[in-house]
Amino acid sequence: MAIDGLIILDNTGRAIAQSGFHSFPPAYPLLHIDALNSALASSPRQIDVDPVIYVQGLKLDSPSACCHVRRGELRYLCPVSGDVDPLYAFAFLQTFVDILHEYFGHLSAETLKDNFDIVYQLLEETLDSGGHPLTTSPNALRDIVLPPTLLHKVLSVAGVSGLASTSANSHPFASPIPWRKVGVRYNNNEIFFDVVETLEAIVNKNGQPAVSTVWGRVDSNCKLSGTPDLLLTFSNAQSLVDCSLHPCVRLQRWARDKVLSFVPPDGKFKLMDYRFAPATASAISQTSVPFTLRTGITVDERGGSIDLTLSSRLTTRTMENVYVELYLGEGATGANCLASHNASWTFNPRTQTLVWELKAVVPSANYTFRGSFTSTAENPRPSRAFRIRFEIPQHNFSAMRIEQLKLTGEVYKPYKGMRGTSFGNVEWRW
Amino acid sequence: MSGQGGQDAKFFTRGKIQEFRAELEAAESKDKKFTKRKTVLKKIVANITMGNDMSPLFTDVVQSLGAPLLEIKKMVYLFLVCYGRQKADQLHLVIPSFLQDCNDRNPLVRALAIRTMSYIPTPVVIENLTDQLRHCLKDRDPYVRKTAAICVAKLYTADPRKAEKGGFVEMLRDLLLDSNATVVANAVAALSEIGDRQDGVIFKLNLTVANKLLTALGESSEWGTIYILDSLLRFVPERHVDAEMMAERVIVQLNHANSAVVLTAIKVLLYLMNYMENRKLMEYICKKMGPPLVTLLSSGPEVQYVALRNILLIIQRRPSVLKNDVKVFFCKYNDPIYVKLAKLEIMYRLAREENAKEVLAELQEYASEVDVDFVRKAVRSIGRLAIKVQPAADSCIQALLDLIETKVSYVVQEAVIVIKDVFRRYPGKYEGIIPKLCEHLDLLDEPESKAAVIWIIGQFANRIDNADELMDDLTYTFLEEPTEVQLALLTAAVKLFIYKAHSDTTKALVHKVLKWATEEVDNPDLRDRGFMYWRMLAINPAVAGEIVLAEKPAITTDADRMDRGALDQLLLHTGTLGSIYHKNPETFIRNATGKALADSPALNPLSRQVLVPISRPNLPPAAVVVPGPGPAEPALTGAVTGNLVETDGEPAQNGNGTNGASAHLMDTSASQETPSNEGDDDESVVSPPASSDPYAALDSAFGGYMADEPRPQNKDLLDMI
Repeated sequence: MAIDGLIILDNTGRAIAQSGFHSFPPAYPLLHIDALNSALASSPRQIDVDPVIYVQGLKLDSPSACCHVRRGELRYLCPVSGDVDPLYAFAFLQTFVDILHEYFGHLSAETLKDNFDIVYQLLEETLDSGGHPLTTSPNALRDIVLPPTLLHKVLSVAGVSGLASTSANSHPFASPIPWRKVGVRYNNNEIFFDVVETLEAIVNKNGQPAVSTVWGRVDSNCKLSGTPDLLLTFSNAQSLVDCSLHPCVRLQRWARDKVLSFVPPDGKFKLMDYRFAPATASAISQTSVPFTLRTGITVDERGGSIDLTLSSRLTTRTMENVYVELYLGEGATGANCLASHNASWTFNPRTQTLVWELKAVVPSANYTFRGSFTSTAENPRPSRAFRIRFEIPQHNFSAMRIEQLKLTGEVYKPYKGMRGTSFGNVEWRW
Repeated sequence: MSGQGGQDAKFFTRGKIQEFRAELEAAESKDKKFTKRKTVLKKIVANITMGNDMSPLFTDVVQSLGAPLLEIKKMVYLFLVCYGRQKADQLHLVIPSFLQDCNDRNPLVRALAIRTMSYIPTPVVIENLTDQLRHCLKDRDPYVRKTAAICVAKLYTADPRKAEKGGFVEMLRDLLLDSNATVVANAVAALSEIGDRQDGVIFKLNLTVANKLLTALGESSEWGTIYILDSLLRFVPERHVDAEMMAERVIVQLNHANSAVVLTAIKVLLYLMNYMENRKLMEYICKKMGPPLVTLLSSGPEVQYVALRNILLIIQRRPSVLKNDVKVFFCKYNDPIYVKLAKLEIMYRLAREENAKEVLAELQEYASEVDVDFVRKAVRSIGRLAIKVQPAADSCIQALLDLIETKVSYVVQEAVIVIKDVFRRYPGKYEGIIPKLCEHLDLLDEPESKAAVIWIIGQFANRIDNADELMDDLTYTFLEEPTEVQLALLTAAVKLFIYKAHSDTTKALVHKVLKWATEEVDNPDLRDRGFMYWRMLAINPAVAGEIVLAEKPAITTDADRMDRGALDQLLLHTGTLGSIYHKNPETFIRNATGKALADSPALNPLSRQVLVPISRPNLPPAAVVVPGPGPAEPALTGAVTGNLVETDGEPAQNGNGTNGASAHLMDTSASQETPSNEGDDDESVVSPPASSDPYAALDSAFGGYMADEPRPQNKDLLDMI
């Protein structure tokens, strides 16, 4: 159960940083980089490349696998030669990317090169040469690898002499709780919860949803002193199912009482993921899609026409940043359309995609979109579905509320804040 | 120093060895705060990472080890790790510094020192490491202990016998009872790594230790949780109740945020279920396993891919998992192709009479998409659905006919191929659609679809009025066709002749084809078959007719189920590469040891019947037997099962397997719901493995995604008729 190492590539496929690979021949990482680059080059669509690539070894008897992900403009590779869970590789890659985000904010080849010493320290601390993850909790890592901003501050305030004592906390991991550091102090004790829900749905030709699922996550930003032990109760915990919880949450307690009992890490972290299953009498409990789209599409030789009407089903809320996308098929060259309410539209000739963009969709108004497109293909084959993305601020599909937040172990009374946002990602077939 | 943290890109300039050497020398003096030295070292490290050889600086760089600055130490250590093995003859220079650091007041430095030493497995370093490691394993600081635990695995890799003689395996075992969860997890990781080596001591858990590890789960990090859960596979339950209680404690981990933890927990549960008796609990566990698998599908495409490949295995063994969740696998058109294909396969697997309508509607939707591979697979799935779910066959056939009307070449070809199988599954039911198929002969340009339609024409020549005309057209290009089509044409021509023996055209046709096959073609298969038909027809046409048009066995979809024993074994690898490729890891990973279910009195008798024994070929000559802590288990089988680390390399004997199995067959049949394809796990053994390698036949069964093509039950016979 150990991965072989980690490699970070820039968008041209060249390595920016990599872990040691000391127990492998020097060509080993290069072999994996080549395998990935050639797989990417030979695939018509980059996203269609298998995430686990089989890599033939130099000697024919030692094949291995290359797990890779793309995040932003960078690619992260994880060579694996033992019989290891690829999810383990992917989970580690994601954790490492999250750590890099924590440290550097926006990630690009430049940021990583500018901070290469920190990147290497992080690699050293998070992954040992045998491929076992070491310290990956941001709270504990910050004790042993100083983030760049803090380093700057320390340098400018205390001068360089202070460095020796600050860079190495002489009692790392003194905390009995691996995810929380000791001795945290805040003047204002507050904790914020950010509930983000995403509706994933496929709507059939007849306007009925074939699948519709709401996935939610609770992000938290914790600024509480000491070692607070929290007990969080939601108003509708029964309809939150398929939960996956941050390691700090006591799983037994959740399974028994559906309450979250935990000692939070300091700072930002993801508390939980869940699926919203409305508790209704009917067995099929689906969340309805908050809009309707009437479609009229005709495809002729070398082109076609499109006629769409979109209206909101919400009664009070406004849907914002609504994007309606249609792939017009191989050979599409252009489009000429008219959108009501000053909405805008674009056609991207490279991806052959037509996008209708509405900044706001208010209740009880009809938004129309008419136009035609041209194509070099004799029988253009636009995709059979529209992709629609939208967001609804200050709203949750699940109407989730915090009922109570109890704090034990410390004496202060914390301020708690909660905010909800909903997103939608709908495929509408025509 | 002003450039610290933010503008280090300038260090990425190719530097010269001499320059660095001079700069390092200059840093010897007037460098109170070590700033100069740090800058030079940074440049050197930057050059190492660019792949430039900095090894000539060895003696210069190691001088900096004495600097009391952790940052400098880290860089020098990084340098040592890169070039230590190359400069093995000079390593003795740094040993004193290592030893000093191993006894530093700062635990970070102590840990860093042993970690670095373990990365440089040269004899002189190993020699010095062993003593230090022994102290560090008992260090008062948990950070040092957990680092030391992993170092033992490295030491073992470098010199297994030395590590065993030094008692390090026993010390690791003691760490399993450590008060700190991270230390426990790392000890487990190290022991697992050692146990997975072909020449390593065998790492087994007894009930006491397994329970102790379970309590550490609550406090360990996500990676620790994975190690601990994975190690539970090394515990062989002796009693049903042990397996059941353990499963109850593992279930909560299904709610973990880390997807690897979730999949490992599922693997453990699947494993423990082999040793359970309580049907209710097993059903409950199956119900609990579904949702977390579904949750994995809301993650990125990479995680989805791994999850889907595993789901495909799991639902074959435990069909009740996810049985009501087929909707989850509906494809979005912008899913990556590998996700779509895997979802499609699972949709077919989950299809039953109750959901066949929904599934068919989805498949029809996919058949109109643009991606050729996906469309083909969707069309084929419609046909497979017709074969699998009888009540849905009518609507599936209608769907296929609608698709043929689209006249899109590859759609028509796929439809024809699969319709041929439908005819075989439901003889005498759908032949009415043959004329429709024949309307589109000109669209068929691929061998497989051509051969399929030729088979149909030959087989049902008595129902097709213009069969002789069609055959005449098709044989026009006989000599240019690929062998597959030629064989089909030959057989079809013979069938046509048998049906319509009095027609002059068919006589001429069969004569022409036989002549070509035997005289003009080089392929021996074709020639032999031609001769054989010729002789049969010459000797007794009536008997020839009986043979060629004999009744064919109906095809079923049974053949697409994997062998039970193989499945049990593959599921021990749930989530690992083996489950992605659907192959046993020994076959593609160097040094991998096989895994197999271990026999115990609690083992489900059916699993025992199909048990696949494994052997460890390279056992160490000197074995170390270490009794585990805690009371010894009641040794029911008489073997030394109570030992934690034992070197008894014999695979468990699967004795009294057969008689137990027949008894069990009876009691489980009482609790089955439906004795069909859908049915459950423990009800039927398809066939006992014929050879000791159950994966021998798997390649063809699971290559690509074509696992479930209906196959004739008796293949060799059918090729001919």
